Amino acid sequence: MHFINRSNLDRLAKSLSKTYRVYVPVKSEGNRSYERIGDAGLGDAVIGEIRPTETIKSFYFPARTKVSEYFPGDIPEKKHRPIAVIGAKSCDLASLAVMDYVFKQDTFKDPFYIAKRDEGLIISSDCTCYGESCFCVAVGVMPYPTVEFDINLSEIESGYVVEAGSDKGEKVIKDYSKLFQGVGHYLEKRDANRKRLKDELLEHVKSKNIPAKDSIQDLFKKKFDGDLWEETVKTCVECGACNVICPACHCFVLKDQKKDGGFERLRLWDSCLLRSFAMVAGGANPRKLLAQRLRNRFDKKFNFFPEKIGKFACTGCGRCTEACPGKIDIREVLSNLAK
Amino acid sequence: MKIMIDNPYVPIKTGILDVIDESQTIKTFSLVPDKPLHFKAGQFIEMTVPGIGEAPFTPSSSPYDKSKLEVTIMKTGKVTGRIHELKKGDVVGLRGPYGKEYPLNEFEGKEILLVGGGVGLAPLRALFLALVHDIDKYKDILFCCGSKTPSDIIFKDCILDKWQKLDKRVNFRVTVDKKDDQWKGKEGLVTTTLDHLKINLKNSVAIVCGPPIMMKFSVFKLIEVGYKEDQIYLSMEKNMSCGIGKCGHCRMGDYYACKDGPVFRYDKISNIHEIWD
Repeated sequence: MHFINRSNLDRLAKSLSKTYRVYVPVKSEGNRSYERIGDAGLGDAVIGEIRPTETIKSFYFPARTKVSEYFPGDIPEKKHRPIAVIGAKSCDLASLAVMDYVFKQDTFKDPFYIAKRDEGLIISSDCTCYGESCFCVAVGVMPYPTVEFDINLSEIESGYVVEAGSDKGEKVIKDYSKLFQGVGHYLEKRDANRKRLKDELLEHVKSKNIPAKDSIQDLFKKKFDGDLWEETVKTCVECGACNVICPACHCFVLKDQKKDGGFERLRLWDSCLLRSFAMVAGGANPRKLLAQRLRNRFDKKFNFFPEKIGKFACTGCGRCTEACPGKIDIREVLSNLAK
Repeated sequence: MKIMIDNPYVPIKTGILDVIDESQTIKTFSLVPDKPLHFKAGQFIEMTVPGIGEAPFTPSSSPYDKSKLEVTIMKTGKVTGRIHELKKGDVVGLRGPYGKEYPLNEFEGKEILLVGGGVGLAPLRALFLALVHDIDKYKDILFCCGSKTPSDIIFKDCILDKWQKLDKRVNFRVTVDKKDDQWKGKEGLVTTTLDHLKINLKNSVAIVCGPPIMMKFSVFKLIEVGYKEDQIYLSMEKNMSCGIGKCGHCRMGDYYACKDGPVFRYDKISNIHEIWD
């Protein structure tokens, strides 16, 4: 454990930007997004607080990726600097378990995702407050990173408690050891802060009546045939915002197009709420009804992935609740599973 | 970006050796990929029309024919529409083979019932050719084929006419939904060919492939005549886009049709909702 003050973190970010494309969370008129920094350093980056509106999945699984050129051959090798993201939050890190399973651990491997993940550096940070839509603690995710970080920062006063989470993180700390100091009494403060926020969040979530984490999968199975889905879907406009904003939604579609006398294949984010998602060429569609498609989203998150990896494909970030023009609140849907 | 492992999204350049008209809406394309691509009966490939896109097909030729592979394609959507415009000498792309094949070892020593409808006969032809390649391993084969009209019957020369005469262990029941003036055979849905089966059900397996509704009623009929769920095998047609269990389109319950199928034993999927749609 170490401690780093803000000006040294700024120096670290500047140094890392020589090797990495460094992204940090910035806040503008209430919106949070990741912005790339250069020599200017951290600027007014917000390391604490809550997750940005956009997820970190874009760094490893971009909305649009060229996955092939044909014929002949493959994509010419083009070297990009790897990505370092600073200030990623626990909910996004937890979602990497789903992404890693799909693209890295399952039978077939996705070289694009694997390269970006393996080369990348993640300097995460504790949440220091919660958003109205946040409910991570209800699905077993803490408001502070516990997995998948190389280095984690916990904001205390004018600096950060620093914890290494991987060999890569240890190495960065060692390489820039002059920027760090001993953690001292800040560690106790960090733990107290974590406990305080967790308790506040548990209290916040309590009023939403979300069923106990371990009961959700069974409750979903029981409600599969009920009218919950038709009721819930009444205000859905089939926009797919919940899919693209979700850190754990991984579905995509391959699209081909002409390019410079050859052809290229793009991998684009897709949305299971859209009518054509499961439709076959002959017109048969296993999920003709919007209610079936909404149910499918919950099936995948709270039934399919628990079967595959023992984890939900939902980390309680609440982004889908914020993004939904039909005001479908995922916490309300979960609460209705138990009614 | 340095790609250290094989890129699974790249199609193999493939020449079209021949195009055979099977019916007004179905053509068979004989393909020779630049790199060998060996499939097992029941597995599928993704076929690329350059610049247009991909679609999944199960080859219809014998898996033992290493010189080429054939896919039999009905004109039904955007990609298949463009495929039907392709001619001998044109170039397409192939990826695969993907998915689980028919478990031939589980069929050994048994009376095998094949039930196919329309273009669903394509995977069954590959299976049939694999079975007759080692015909001594199996007790016998009854191939029940259904088509809409006599002019919709595919694989007439290469299967029906040839094998009917060659081996008494191989038999056919052919029916059309609607006959014409020349048709001397049976009229009725393919399920009607499953009446009066002279099969020892205890030692039989049934393999079904066709449009969703045909599969649904054929399976119900097979259960009615006494087949158990674990004696029935299906080839599921779902929207297999990536073919490698990543894109999410072909999920059915806990399975992906592309990775865990497309061949499923019925008892494994009979409790999954929406399988017949």
